[in-house]
Amino acid sequence: MAENTTETVQIEEEKSKKVSTSIFKKRWKKFKTLKRGYISFLAIVFLYIFSFIIPLFFGRDALMVKYNDNYYFPIFKFRLASELGQNIQGEANYRLLKQQYKQEDKGNWVLMPFYPYGPNENLLDELGEGNNPPTKPDFTHWAGTDNRGRDVFVRLLYGFRIGLSFSLVVTAFSYLIAIIIGAICGYFGGKVDIIIQRFIEIWSTLPFLYVIIIVSSILQPNFFLLIIILTMFGWIGMTYYIRGEFLREKARDYVSAAVSMGASNRKIMFRHILPNSLTPLISYAPFTIVANIFSLVSLDFLGFGLPPPTPSWGELMGQGLEGIDNWWLIVTPLLAMFGTLLSITFIGEAIREAFDPKVYSRLK
Amino acid sequence: MKAENILEVKNLRVKFPIHGGLFLKKVAEVKAVDGVSLELKRGETLGLVGESGCGKSTIGKAIINILKFSSPDVEIEGEVWLRTDKGEVDLLKLDRGQMREYRGMIQMIFQDPYSSLNSRMSVGQIIEEPMLYHTNKSKAERMEKVAWLMEKVGLQAEQSKRYPHEFSGGQRQRIGIARSLATDPKIIVADEPVSALDVSIQAQVINLLQELQEEFDLSLLFVAHDLSVVEHISSRIAVMYLGNLVEIGNGIDIYHNPIHPYSKALLSAVPLPNPNKVKKERIILKGDVPSPINKPSGCAFRTRCPIAKAECAASIPPLELKKENHFAACPYVSYDTIITESIENKA
Repeated sequence: MAENTTETVQIEEEKSKKVSTSIFKKRWKKFKTLKRGYISFLAIVFLYIFSFIIPLFFGRDALMVKYNDNYYFPIFKFRLASELGQNIQGEANYRLLKQQYKQEDKGNWVLMPFYPYGPNENLLDELGEGNNPPTKPDFTHWAGTDNRGRDVFVRLLYGFRIGLSFSLVVTAFSYLIAIIIGAICGYFGGKVDIIIQRFIEIWSTLPFLYVIIIVSSILQPNFFLLIIILTMFGWIGMTYYIRGEFLREKARDYVSAAVSMGASNRKIMFRHILPNSLTPLISYAPFTIVANIFSLVSLDFLGFGLPPPTPSWGELMGQGLEGIDNWWLIVTPLLAMFGTLLSITFIGEAIREAFDPKVYSRLK
Repeated sequence: MKAENILEVKNLRVKFPIHGGLFLKKVAEVKAVDGVSLELKRGETLGLVGESGCGKSTIGKAIINILKFSSPDVEIEGEVWLRTDKGEVDLLKLDRGQMREYRGMIQMIFQDPYSSLNSRMSVGQIIEEPMLYHTNKSKAERMEKVAWLMEKVGLQAEQSKRYPHEFSGGQRQRIGIARSLATDPKIIVADEPVSALDVSIQAQVINLLQELQEEFDLSLLFVAHDLSVVEHISSRIAVMYLGNLVEIGNGIDIYHNPIHPYSKALLSAVPLPNPNKVKKERIILKGDVPSPINKPSGCAFRTRCPIAKAECAASIPPLELKKENHFAACPYVSYDTIITESIENKA
């Protein structure tokens, strides 16, 4: 009997020690059980983080050079060829330097990255006799070279980093605008709502592609200009969802409770309603990221995108279309895009599943 | 304003306009509250009863001044006087910014314990929040008070890190009560605080409310449709029908000897838990409650009243003093009049 009571006391204690779980934690747990989405998520996150240290593995600059008993780290600092005893103009070419040191055999050496080609590097001189770019994939250039003799594989990798960064930034900014405008519409309602909604309707009829074409014919588009233009047209759809969420949540009792305790409008909007209105935003985010990557690829393909020589998937496809025989210029960027977009879509699918409220509304 | 009163509602009218037609003109209005005057004495519990849609929750929300927030085009007339340390103030004249100053004094407990707590905030944050707006307490002091309040309402202080969805309905309502007490209010408007709960839990929550009322010297406006609940907790009861008060008086008087024909019918519907007792006669009213969009002229109850006369259509009958502290809005009944035999059957 005594043992029993101590046991129950223990159980009670364990119960009270039980770690509490917010709804977000519950959803995260659920998301983790959806293997396809979770693995895609890990893969994309890993690749994206990895893409910031690509130069350590894929790049033209040597990691380390030993020359006349001095050590140089060209990956961090630009070195003139003459400093390292190479007889060419401008920056050193470390692949040639490596060969040169080997021939000289004076104890100097060069440590190159695993895949020693840069994204914007013209390899015309090194392709060998009778090989005019674009060249087919082989063991030195895994995805061949493009029509300016640049390594396609490295360009694909850098293109991933630029495309995904671009898309994340555009998505973040357009959602920020959508949250602010949607929140104002849904929360204040009435005339404010009507006026802003009419403005949005007018704005949404502006043809996106023409605006881009006009802008890029006047200004040279760059990364930030493109972000601004895509954001300007990207926020509209999400605004409707946020507005709807705010309209619905505003009528709930916890908002009345917040008013009755004297919370300010800003507090109510961003402390109370917003955290309860993020479901559409989070479930749509992966698909918006996909759409924005796709927009950038399309714009690059049409030639209205990032200025050359920025490594970009769309630009490679454009090259492929010019000479259809160079199949690798079409297939490899398409595969890269397909893989990326598919994984992000898997993530989106899993998030949607994890946010499905049916699981939580079940009576226990 | 009388000295013993902490809150006085004078001639309160709340109308919700209905818009229609091509240009959304006002085509009709719902008279949710149609000229109600109430007094809440210091430390008492006033029970406000009536059927669904009679405007009892609207009164509560008008007092706490949150109607304009959820329906901006609502029309509110009348006065709600609150006695504060600095004097008396008419809450309806204040805008939201000015009202903020008095919100700490007058708090609300909501009906639905599921939607009245923000599910993204932990219980500690929920109870702490009113203190952020009304006190200058430091974080440590606030958390201390949160723990103290949680113990007071029968929760464990360690549970403050948990989220509302990890609690049962009754526990959630306790969280709501703790939140309403966080600013040391003088008045609490309880808008059907137990109607969403199981009967066994109802009793616990009501007893808790009573204990807290005594301990904190609260004045409680208890809105409910469950008469036995109201009888248990209230010192005075006000009965509403279609936006009007029909009877108000001491709880015992109203519960055992109602005067107004509507109160009689309402109270005859209360089930008796003891099957051996002689069943009192149910007074079944004819027809349905009229729509508050087109209320009957004069006495709103006349369309269903067993003693209605032609004169009832002329004007809304005022509350008349029938006995000490017992008012009823019907000129044709008095404290001794017995229309049915229901009272004799009562214990």
